[in-house]
Amino acid sequence: MKAIFIVYNQAHSEKVEFMLDRLEIRGYSQWPEVTGRGSVNGDPHLGTHTWPELNSATLTVVEDDQVDRVLEGVKKLDALNEDIGVRAFVWHVERWM
Amino acid sequence: MSIYGNAVRKPITTLMIFIAVVVLGLYSLVQLPVDLYPEIEYPAITVLTSYPGANAADIETNITKPIEDVLNTVDNLKEITSVSQDNSSVVSMEFEYETDLSLAANDIRDALAFVEDYLPEGASKPTVFKFSTSMMPVMVYVITSDESYEGIEKMLEERLVNPLNRIEGIGGVYLSGTPRREVQVQVDPRKLEAYNMTIEQIGGVLQAENLNLPSGNIKMGRMRYPVRVEGEFDESAQIKDLVVGYHDEQTIYLKDVAEVRDSIGEMTIDEKVNGLKGVSLMVMKQSGANTVDVASEVDANLKELQRFLPPDIQIMSVFDSSEFITDSVMNLSDTLTFAFIFVVLVVLFFLGRWRATFIIALTIPIALIVSFIYLYVTGNSLNIISLSSLAIVIGMVVDDAIVVLENISKHIERGSSPREAAIYATNEVWLAVIVTTLTVVAVFFPMTLIKGLTGVMFRQLGWIVTITVVTSTLTAISLTPMLSSRLMHLKKKRRPLLVSHDRTILPMLNGLDNWYGRVLNWSIHHKLIVTILAFAIFFTSIGLAGRVGSEFFPPSDQGMMSAEVELMPGTRLEETSRVARQIEDIVERYLPEVELISATAGTDEDAVMETIWLTTGSNIINFSMRLSDANKRDRSIWDIAEALRVKLRNIPEIKNFNVNTEEGGGMGGNNVDVEIYGYDLEATTLLAHQLSRRITALEGARDVAISREEIKPELRVELDREKISRMGLNTAMISSALRNRIDGMTATYFREYGDEYDISIRFKEEYRNSISDIESMTIQNAMGHMVQVGEIGHVMEYWSPPNVERKSRQRIVTVSAKPYQTSLGELAMEIQGVVDQSDIPREIMVEVGGAFEDQQEGFADLGLLLLLSLILVYIVMASQFESFKMPFIIMFSIPFAFTGVILALLITDTTLSVIAGLGAIMLIGIVVKNAVVLVDYINLMRDRGYPLDQAIVLSGKARLRPVLMTALTTIFAMLPLAIGIGEGSELWSPMGISVIGGLIFSTILTMIIVPVIYRVFSSRGERAAKEKMRRKFHFMDDNPA
Repeated sequence: MKAIFIVYNQAHSEKVEFMLDRLEIRGYSQWPEVTGRGSVNGDPHLGTHTWPELNSATLTVVEDDQVDRVLEGVKKLDALNEDIGVRAFVWHVERWM
Repeated sequence: MSIYGNAVRKPITTLMIFIAVVVLGLYSLVQLPVDLYPEIEYPAITVLTSYPGANAADIETNITKPIEDVLNTVDNLKEITSVSQDNSSVVSMEFEYETDLSLAANDIRDALAFVEDYLPEGASKPTVFKFSTSMMPVMVYVITSDESYEGIEKMLEERLVNPLNRIEGIGGVYLSGTPRREVQVQVDPRKLEAYNMTIEQIGGVLQAENLNLPSGNIKMGRMRYPVRVEGEFDESAQIKDLVVGYHDEQTIYLKDVAEVRDSIGEMTIDEKVNGLKGVSLMVMKQSGANTVDVASEVDANLKELQRFLPPDIQIMSVFDSSEFITDSVMNLSDTLTFAFIFVVLVVLFFLGRWRATFIIALTIPIALIVSFIYLYVTGNSLNIISLSSLAIVIGMVVDDAIVVLENISKHIERGSSPREAAIYATNEVWLAVIVTTLTVVAVFFPMTLIKGLTGVMFRQLGWIVTITVVTSTLTAISLTPMLSSRLMHLKKKRRPLLVSHDRTILPMLNGLDNWYGRVLNWSIHHKLIVTILAFAIFFTSIGLAGRVGSEFFPPSDQGMMSAEVELMPGTRLEETSRVARQIEDIVERYLPEVELISATAGTDEDAVMETIWLTTGSNIINFSMRLSDANKRDRSIWDIAEALRVKLRNIPEIKNFNVNTEEGGGMGGNNVDVEIYGYDLEATTLLAHQLSRRITALEGARDVAISREEIKPELRVELDREKISRMGLNTAMISSALRNRIDGMTATYFREYGDEYDISIRFKEEYRNSISDIESMTIQNAMGHMVQVGEIGHVMEYWSPPNVERKSRQRIVTVSAKPYQTSLGELAMEIQGVVDQSDIPREIMVEVGGAFEDQQEGFADLGLLLLLSLILVYIVMASQFESFKMPFIIMFSIPFAFTGVILALLITDTTLSVIAGLGAIMLIGIVVKNAVVLVDYINLMRDRGYPLDQAIVLSGKARLRPVLMTALTTIFAMLPLAIGIGEGSELWSPMGISVIGGLIFSTILTMIIVPVIYRVFSSRGERAAKEKMRRKFHFMDDNPA
């Protein structure tokens, strides 16, 4: 099992949810408002007067074979417009109940 | 969940809420009455007291003074004035505006209760009389006739006045100048004397003959009959055959000693319309009734009723206050429509997208409609204040929607779904939108707090702008995102058409942005030059400010003109009428613009109502003239009035005249009064005449008038008391006998068809028109002997003392003047100069007041308003920027707005009135808003890490379009108001001019001077957050201190 953490501009939440539905991934947890900034470029999404935009974050735990499909979807989303600033991070899940 | 989130998620609910608001608003609009101004009751109460037989000075000491003394302490009293004249005292009290007059009237009655016991015995109880607008006629008609003139009164009363009185909202319908039928018995005193008879005896005979008397009942057979003696005259022709007495066995009939005429009574008034014999019909409305409704109802009824009148009777309207109201309101509605179209065009020009323009334009009707609900709920009317307020606000309501929509489309272009873009984009800007709205509210809300006349006028403006702007903000964060989520979509990338917005306007706007960027870059590198230049412009304009005339309210051309012409006191009516005809000829020949002229010479003794607003007297002619429509003639009403004045000056019989161009609804008047306080009547009159002469010599002064009436010639019969008592007479007997002979004795009434007409007996005219005639009148004493007046006294000619006017419990004379081709303020300054140069005795005090005083009060109110607005704006901005410095930078743009106002007023030769001043204050809101947007963006750019200079130029370029859009929408919305063609536009065009001038100037300067001042006040790296953090936290340094 792998955990995938996806962060993206709040204004694109619908697309992320749609993507997960399309990939038939049912379970996820979401933080509707998270702040952050990118490592290389792009505007920070800090929800302040200076940087008013905000991110949302989705954490989904999937079978190992689904990871590539998810990352592919994220890539397609990023290709739409780089201002969306969508990023996905994958790490190993050791145990669950 | 936020408003905008809910609005986007529940579009139907949102739509329904807005539809509900629109429906309520339209309902209110239909129900709203139409009027000229917000309802203003003139807060005045008058106390009338009569004391028959006392002269002006007695009245002053015994009646007026004690009454004034007790009334002086009544709450909310602003000013107390009084006129003491022969036989009566009138004390007038003016209260602060919006005082509860019923309460004040009660206070007055309580106060009068204290003084009543101390008033002289013969004095009547003081009557409290509340002035109300329902006493002013809303319509005046003149009715001319030819053959029907003799019987016109009865006919009009029955067929016109009574039906009209039944209309709802009518306070009263009055006829004036109607000829009154009267049976005149004109006695030849020589013949009376020959038969040893008196007028009183003849009167007695007439009384005794003209009777119907019941004389009891008799029973005959089964019936019971009342018995009556019927002696009443059936027709007036019977009267001359009455037997009045016997002399030497001969029967003397009335026709032997007198001439009997069934005719119309002696007229004390002469009314002519366009030279034809006429009667005037005045219509008063009830207080609170709607003028326009009443007027249209009366008009419709008159047309219907005219069918029942003989064909020679013509009814013409002289004055219809509803006409001006409807014209002004229609005019403003057009203005509003044009403003709406201009605003939509500006938005379309900048955005270039139909759907976006539609969404933004939709906020305009919604915001405006909400203000109708406010007007309806608070019981206000659709008047020129409320409509102008809407015209003013129309350019401001789109700003918020533009900001929101711009951000939403930015997100959509990035690929968000319209729905999400609407929610999150609104989330990013909603706070900023509310704060900019708050700065506007900070300027307009204080207007709702002003007191006084200015307050009554501007409270509505304040409320309407506040409510409309707040509504527009609410719409911008609910309806705008909702509609954007539904209507906007990502534009497909395709080649723009040859004549599309992208090919034509967009490059132009981009070019403008770049050019401005270069200008800005140069400016911030030449701070000193720019700052010095700006201040030079500012101080030059302040220097020029002295050249702008000042005024209270701009006068308006209502197409109505009135003139009061005064001849020598005591001039008889016939002579006055002759001069009236002469003036009519002049008007006809030299003033072709006059469509209708109605002249009233003399006074109608029965029409008390009229004397409240007109001075009448046998030597006074009142003209009212209706002019052709303002846009159909070359000369303005002021030029026409001046032309009339020039002509009137050449008529030698005229002692004094006054040509007035403000009729019905003229606000605040337009004259400068010189108030001369002093006890000595002769000294003050002398000074008044001196000042009047010198003021008349001033170039800009017209209609100079002295308030103290001229002394009038009077004949007094002085009796020798010893002689009259020896003759068995007394003063009462003599005065009533003289009255019967000169004024006439109403012996009895002639009754016909349910109406009564006086039968009056008096001497033939040729026996009562000289001093010797009076002296040769004979009176019968108790012993039956005839005594001539000349035997017991003599007739002397006197000058009766003038009326005594008082103000603030001091005797006063006012010399008033009106400005012509100069402003009220300038005229007041010149008159002040005249007063200063004059040699004024020490016991006399002179003050310059009148409308000028109101004007100064008005400006003082505005000054206070300005201060309050500035403080509130500072507070809003300081909290928005969390800085004491930023508001100052922004407020640097305000003085330049005033520079623009001054220049615009100078160029268009407009005077600074309260209205123009108000425009200047409104500017603060708009100008500050522009500067806020700019400064906020510079701060933002610096926070995002741009270096100072780059941040300034970048933000300037980015913000140029929104600022231009805000400014242009307002400028174009104001344009129809400023150009102002048509009736009533004079009042508001100064506001349009000052806003447009101020806005053009300040927008240009804001875009230059605010960035420059910003640059002056800030140092590089001041807002670099990282540097600040580094100075604060040392733990990461290589060698922490």
